[in-house]
Amino acid sequence: MRIFPKTFLSIVVTGILSVGVSTAADAPNHAGMQMNSGPDVKIPDPTAVVMIVNRDSNDISFMDMKSKKIVATTFLGDNVNPHMVMMSPDGRYVVTGGTRANTAYIIETATAKLVKKIPVDIAPEHLAFSPDSRWYYQGNPDGDSISVIDMQSLTKIKTISGLAEPLNVTFTPDGAKAYVGNYGAHWVGVIDVKRHELLKRIQISAPENRSQLDPERYLGEIKGINVAMPTPDSRYLFAADSDLGVVGVIDTRDDRVVSVIRVGKDPWRVYMGHDGKYAITPNNGDETISIIDVANRKVAATLEAGPDMTGVNFAAGKAFVISSTTGFVYVYDMNTLKPAGRIKIGTNVQLETATTDTADEKIYLADSTENAVVIIDAKTQTFEKIRNVGLYPWGTHVMDSKDNYCH
Amino acid sequence: MTLTATPGRLRLAISVFMMATLLAAATAHAQQGPAPAGSEDSANAREQALQQRVDDLEKRLSELESSAVLSEPETRVRKIEVYVDKDGNETDTPTPGSEKVVTYQRERVFRRQTISEKIEEALSSEAERSVQLGIDAAMVVQQVNQTRGTSTEADGHAYALSSADLYFSAKLAQNTSLYADVVGLSGSPPDGETGGLTLLNGYAARLVRQNEINLREAWLRTELFDQNLALTIGRLDLTAFFDRNAVANDETSQFVSDALVNNPMLGLSSNGAGLAAVYDPRGSWNLKLGVQQSETDATNLSQSLFSLGEIGYRARPRGLGEGNYRGWYRTDNSSGDHKDAFGVSVDQRLTPAIMVFGRYGSEQAVDAASGHDHFFSGGLQVQTRLVLNPLDTWGLGYARLKMASDDQEQLLEAYYNLHLSEKLHLSLHLQYATDTDPSGAKRSYLVPGVRIQAGL
Repeated sequence: MRIFPKTFLSIVVTGILSVGVSTAADAPNHAGMQMNSGPDVKIPDPTAVVMIVNRDSNDISFMDMKSKKIVATTFLGDNVNPHMVMMSPDGRYVVTGGTRANTAYIIETATAKLVKKIPVDIAPEHLAFSPDSRWYYQGNPDGDSISVIDMQSLTKIKTISGLAEPLNVTFTPDGAKAYVGNYGAHWVGVIDVKRHELLKRIQISAPENRSQLDPERYLGEIKGINVAMPTPDSRYLFAADSDLGVVGVIDTRDDRVVSVIRVGKDPWRVYMGHDGKYAITPNNGDETISIIDVANRKVAATLEAGPDMTGVNFAAGKAFVISSTTGFVYVYDMNTLKPAGRIKIGTNVQLETATTDTADEKIYLADSTENAVVIIDAKTQTFEKIRNVGLYPWGTHVMDSKDNYCH
Repeated sequence: MTLTATPGRLRLAISVFMMATLLAAATAHAQQGPAPAGSEDSANAREQALQQRVDDLEKRLSELESSAVLSEPETRVRKIEVYVDKDGNETDTPTPGSEKVVTYQRERVFRRQTISEKIEEALSSEAERSVQLGIDAAMVVQQVNQTRGTSTEADGHAYALSSADLYFSAKLAQNTSLYADVVGLSGSPPDGETGGLTLLNGYAARLVRQNEINLREAWLRTELFDQNLALTIGRLDLTAFFDRNAVANDETSQFVSDALVNNPMLGLSSNGAGLAAVYDPRGSWNLKLGVQQSETDATNLSQSLFSLGEIGYRARPRGLGEGNYRGWYRTDNSSGDHKDAFGVSVDQRLTPAIMVFGRYGSEQAVDAASGHDHFFSGGLQVQTRLVLNPLDTWGLGYARLKMASDDQEQLLEAYYNLHLSEKLHLSLHLQYATDTDPSGAKRSYLVPGVRIQAGL
């Protein structure tokens, strides 16, 4: 077959830009795909599994929640270092960003087969789906961009640039807008999802006026905004700025900051309670948590916690705060807003992040040093370790969980 | 072969250069326009060769990207459980006659990391294994103006006291650490000339001898029972464990008056050998027990021995923020007979910006027949409201001490703490103290002051 010069040129350029992309033959016939039946089906019910992203074995494990057995594992490739896993809202696909391969991986849920590898920008980590499952936004913190992947054609259609270490993306329920937490800046980006363009930058708060006296803090490593966390009705977004020690409240109707709440030192991010009454910021600077009264937009309580907090999960009327390096999960009663003890998961272990089941009863916590997932019964505060789930489990995900996050 | 970062980058650069060359060739080819019909076959062959070359380069680049750059195997040592029989045969699963043994084994994984991640890990690991050093330096300048009573030597005098603390801490074993605090003080606090019942400069409480380096604390701490019980033994300052308060407990950042740092009824005048046990399961309640010698010139461990117990409760009264409520009891043998005291220390958040505190204490006077000494203090601390900078704080405090001998002191202090940077704070203080002797004669002082505090 003759290749015309201009076509040839475009192939060369495309080839350079898309190293590692799989061939078209790798893609499945989506139109004819049978989802929950057939001999290849390993996961007939996408809501019945916990997905576990394993950094060092470079795979995604699927654990059946009832039997607590690994029912499928999808190997992504050598040195991929997957970071966060997420299932599309329709349950059809599971995706992850391979941080060290600069590639997005798309897995067909039912068969647990890797169906597509799509080159993205540098160091993909956190990601999000539009509510209709059409768009997969892959954040590339080192590339300061978001790769937009069309889940119908399974192709990357655009790279949204102009961001600063984008960590997490939040879509509005109608899918019209997406909000991006920029950890390398002090603003939240608003994206027009129809055009996949950065519309607006919302500054949460300005650095204090004495910041020039502290160049070490403000001109050193920047710790800005991790995520813009929506209230259950998505009317407001709560975004913590780590360097500034504040949480900004954004009204999503007109995308403006309506309130700024001072919290503890170095808040990692905001975690929203499932009933929307309270939100929590783990403050790693002073080892406390700030419990924010969402309706009144003020701090309801500041309570002692532990060091190196990486996540908060809500279940059984309690908040479970993960202290990564101590092996403890701190528990707080969300009715009394008082401490309710702590759970010692292990000694010399490193805990990562967790997800909560949709019944708000069980928490699935990644324990990276033990290659285990710890299942915590939220009511009794007891736990069980499921070992050998993969090497260095970094995070977990359950479809439709309200606590799907990463670090 | 495992390539190091530098050769990897070199290969990457070569590959990129080759790609660029190829791109230039392809561009030139495009500019030449369509090939003549007679040479179509050879053009096809050239293009196919180029296509193959591009494919090969893509493959090589992909390999480089996924396996060469910074992909040295990560080595970790893991604790594992194995089964060992009497002959030393080790198995992963139980065998007849074997016993479960905990051991350690190296594990290698292929994690691709960036140089910065590796450096950060190395530095963090090094820091964890080494002795941590901290410095806290402060200078307090005060001016005493007598406003009432017979003139004293202090009237119109200015005072300055400098303090420097060197802290050392190190991890010794699992959940076990060592801590030492060496302090040096120089200068004159006003208390030598005002002669009040409590110190106007809380730093002076540390002053054993001027211009000398003193070992203030040196202790070992270990945590037991899922780290719910902490035991500390060595040369201690039990005020760091008992009578704590979120609003009035730190002369380096809050009130500078000693009466607004601790309850004088605790009676601990100096640090000494002791033991503290803190049981805190991170729920609502916690329990503390301690014993400490508080006499610098003691000749044996039995002298001036203070025994303390405290129970603490974390509360959240309806409509208010979090609060800490503590009640303590102590006894000591400093006067020969056992002497008792008790007290409470409360801090309560009213709003996100305002916290209030209160203390009360009572002790048997040295001569038990003469009754009890009583102490009360209270006040507030404000953050983020009426401040120049969001991180500034200010506070108002009042303390009253009434001795069984009818000596009395009332003290009022206001301070504003300017957060200049993470490590530098400047605070302005205004104290008003009135001392009343048993005859009813009063002496009052207005004491403005400045504190500069640096902590690393």
